[in-house]
Formats: sequence, structure tokens, C-alpha cells
Amino acid sequence: MSKPIIQFSKASFGFPGRIALEDITLDILEGEFIGIIGPNGSGKTTLLRALLGLIPPVSGQVQIFDCACEKLRCRHRARIGYLPQKDRVDEDFPVTVFEAVLMGRFSSIGLLRRPSRADDEIARHALEEVGMAEFAERSLGHLSGGQQQRVFIARALAQQPQVLLLDEPTTGVDMPTQQTILELIKKLHETLRLTILLVTHDINMIAPFVNRLALLKTKLYAAAPPKEVLTREILSQVYGKQIMVTEKGVVIVGDYHHA
Amino acid sequence: MLEIMAYGFMQRALLASALIGVLCSAIGVFVVLKGLSFIGAGTAHAAFAGVALAFLLDLNPMGMAVLFGLMTVWITGLLVEKGRMKLDVSIGIFYTSTMAMAILFIGFMKGYNAELYGYLFGSILSVTPSDLMVIAGLGLVVLVALFLFNKEFQFIAFDQEMAEASGIPARNLFFLLISLIALTIVVSLKAVGAVLVYAMILIPAATAYQLTRSMKGMMVVSILCGVFSSMAGMFLSFIMDIPSGAAIVLLATALFFLSVLFSPKRRNPLRPVRSQES
Repeated sequence: MSKPIIQFSKASFGFPGRIALEDITLDILEGEFIGIIGPNGSGKTTLLRALLGLIPPVSGQVQIFDCACEKLRCRHRARIGYLPQKDRVDEDFPVTVFEAVLMGRFSSIGLLRRPSRADDEIARHALEEVGMAEFAERSLGHLSGGQQQRVFIARALAQQPQVLLLDEPTTGVDMPTQQTILELIKKLHETLRLTILLVTHDINMIAPFVNRLALLKTKLYAAAPPKEVLTREILSQVYGKQIMVTEKGVVIVGDYHHA
Repeated sequence: MLEIMAYGFMQRALLASALIGVLCSAIGVFVVLKGLSFIGAGTAHAAFAGVALAFLLDLNPMGMAVLFGLMTVWITGLLVEKGRMKLDVSIGIFYTSTMAMAILFIGFMKGYNAELYGYLFGSILSVTPSDLMVIAGLGLVVLVALFLFNKEFQFIAFDQEMAEASGIPARNLFFLLISLIALTIVVSLKAVGAVLVYAMILIPAATAYQLTRSMKGMMVVSILCGVFSSMAGMFLSFIMDIPSGAAIVLLATALFFLSVLFSPKRRNPLRPVRSQES
């Protein structure tokens, strides 16, 4: 961990009359694993989309790799792997696991050129990283939710990214699978030295894995190691008075609909 | 049977149907995967309105069809992007109003114009050498573009947001894709007609969707179905003296139902899923 790879400086995002994120100032260091938490509609996904250059800031700046996000050239975009929050793939959709992972190479390959043998290799290697190599020729729609999620992580890895943005990667899968996916992400963080931003509503699940938690509700309320963020004083600013933090550091959010 | 091949019109018809078969079924893959069926039906009728206007004002029918077709897909594309209006409603209005324009233009004409009705119902046996040149020329443009941007179109068809996020110029390529759909419709207009051209795009791809589990496989099977039904349909039309467009489309439809019956994706096609019944 050394220099900042991502810098938000007084950045606000949204549309006139509806602000999604306000006055965000946050430096993320190279190789950090950050969990982004906050209630529904607190702007978590907007933060990721802003980094991808899909939403320009209405004021302030956001930079990644020393370059304003909204001006990201295609070559730079490939260095950001993104896992959007997604429903399961339609069961009948005719795409194999390998085809889906190879798509991660397309932007680096560039227009008018075909994937080379080296691209095939990278895609296969990415599948190995997530333990899905034997499923390469299977139909993606026939896999379980957890397996599909691993395939999408492999696709992000096939981009050979420096930064990985994960939006609720554990929703819609069962508890043991959630753990396996998080272990996998942790392993990728350590072995590939990726900078990871993971959006989740499940504070307790993510807390043991991350270097820092960023607490959002339109504004940034905290960005610090989990122990410092998971206190009643800090969390109640965002989740309300019903929040409880047990002695072991387990967070219980009063109204589940806002969790 | 083979002596009919000696006729120039038959050779041209065969060539035209093969070309159209390849073209429609190849672009159809992306139409089906991306769920763009609504764009095509409207475009076919708009293109016909363009042809009618060309006949009325003595302009080039293909040129006007291209103009009307492209305008339709671009406006539809912008509506899709904005997501402001309910899409089926806006397309429905578009689709019927262009047809009304066509009827209006025909009403302004004196007498009955058989050639114009050829564009509505298709007349593959009346394809002239210059028609064939246009079909081959425009068709080549579409096929080359599909070949060059195949991987990007695959990505967009699978997940456009993801494609854009990874740095692919997804928006521009989406507009290229729908422009190619419009060109395909225009190219096929004279041979299969405005009423049926969309079936040529939709049905072979839908058939392939039932039978394949990879994007590559779907493309191959779709093209095979498209070429087979258009060429076999044309022979049927000649032998049985029935309208060619109808023969081609009904043959393709028969293939589709067979594919549903034998699809590995459906365990029992004759019994619909309960939730669809209620």
C-alpha cells in the first residue's frame, strides 16, 4: 500500500434537483480492500459508476490512475474490473462460460480485431483463478447463482485489472456460497494485489475481510478500519437510533428494510 | 426440376433468396438476443412508406426505403435510451402511423401499381439484375460490418452496461447495430415484402435459440435455418405456384415449431409452464 490510486475531492453526483452523492472526499490507496456500506439508496452503486466514468461529477473531481474518471480512455477502462449487481442469467441464453469470460478481453483487444490465442489463455487462466476451469464449455445459464458470480469475477479478471469494483457480489446466493465468494475475493486481493471496492448492505459479513469501511448516506460519514466505524455513535448517524452493536462487534440494524 | 435453373429470373431469385437468408438470419441472432423484435416490425412498415413515397414522387424506391428505415430505427433507438415513454406504446404509434402514411401515398396515386404491391407482399421471382446488384451490394456492407464487429455485438447483446463499463463504445455500436437491422430490412423488402421480412429476421434466430448453448453455435444454426428455408421455400413457391414470401416464412415457421418440440431446453413443450397459464 502506497500512493492513492483513486481520489474523490469534494465530488458530488446526481441530476439537478436530485443529488445522489454529495461532497465526497476520499483517497483510496493502491492495494486497499474497501467495503462500501450504507442503507438502500445511499449512493453506493453511484460511487462505483462514477469511478467507471459512467456519471460525470456535477461538482468537484474524481480521479483514477491520475486521470479524471469521466475522461477515461478505453485503454484505462479495461484496467477497472466491474461486477454489476445482476439478476441470474436467463437459463436459455446461449452463451458458454468461456465465451462470457472472453468478453472481458474485448476492450483490450480493440475494435476490428479478433481474440488471439493469448487472449484465450488469459480467459482460461482467469477461470482457473476462480476455480471454474472445468465449466468452460458449459452453458452459463445452467449454472447456480454462486457459480455465475464466479464466472463474472473471472470475466473482470480477464481484463487484467488493477482495480476491482464489486456491487453486492453476494446477493441472491446462500450463506455458505457467500462465504466462499468472499474468501475468493480475499484471495484475489492478496495474490493479485488488486485494489478492491466492494459494495454491500451486509456489514457483518464484510467487516472481517476489509482494510477499511466507507459509510455512505449521500454524504461520506466515515472511512476507517472496521473497528472504528462499527460503533453505535457512528452507525446511528446513518441507520438511526435503532442500531445495535454487540460486544463482539456484530451490528444489528433495527429496521431491516433499511439495512 | 433442374431445367428451371436455366431461366435467368430463377437464377437471380435463388441467389437473392440465399443472400437474404444469410443476411436476415445473421442479424436476427442479435435481434433475438438483445430483445429488439419491436424495432423490426415498425421499420419494415416505415420502409414501405418510403417506397410508396418514392413511387408517388418518382424517386428511387431503395433510397427512400433506406432513409425511412434508418430514421425509424434511430428515433426508436433514442426512445429506448431515454426510456421516457412506454416503449410498446411509442413503437405502436410509429408503426401504425408510417403504415397510414404509406396508405396515404398510395391513395394519391392514380390507378393500381403492381410493382409497389410487390414491396408489400414480396416477389422474389421478379428480382431484376439491378435489384440483385443492390441486394448484393448492401448485403455485403451489412455482412462485413457484422463480421468486423461480431465480438462487440456479442457483448452488447449479452450485457450492454457491462460492455460500456469495460470500455467498449457500446452506445455507438448499438446505433450501428440497429442501422444494420434497418439496412437488412430494406435489402429484403422487394424479395420478401414488408409484411413478411421481419419473420425472416426473427424466426431462424429464434429457432437457433432453442437448439444451441453458445453464441457461436446460435449464429451457425441460425444461418443454416435461414438459408435452407429461403432457398427451399423459393423452390416450393415455383413448383407449387404459391407466393414466395409466404412459402419461405411458413417453411421457417415449421422449422421453428420442430425446434421447440425437439429443443433440449424444453422438457415438455406441449405443456406450458403453470405460471404462464394463470
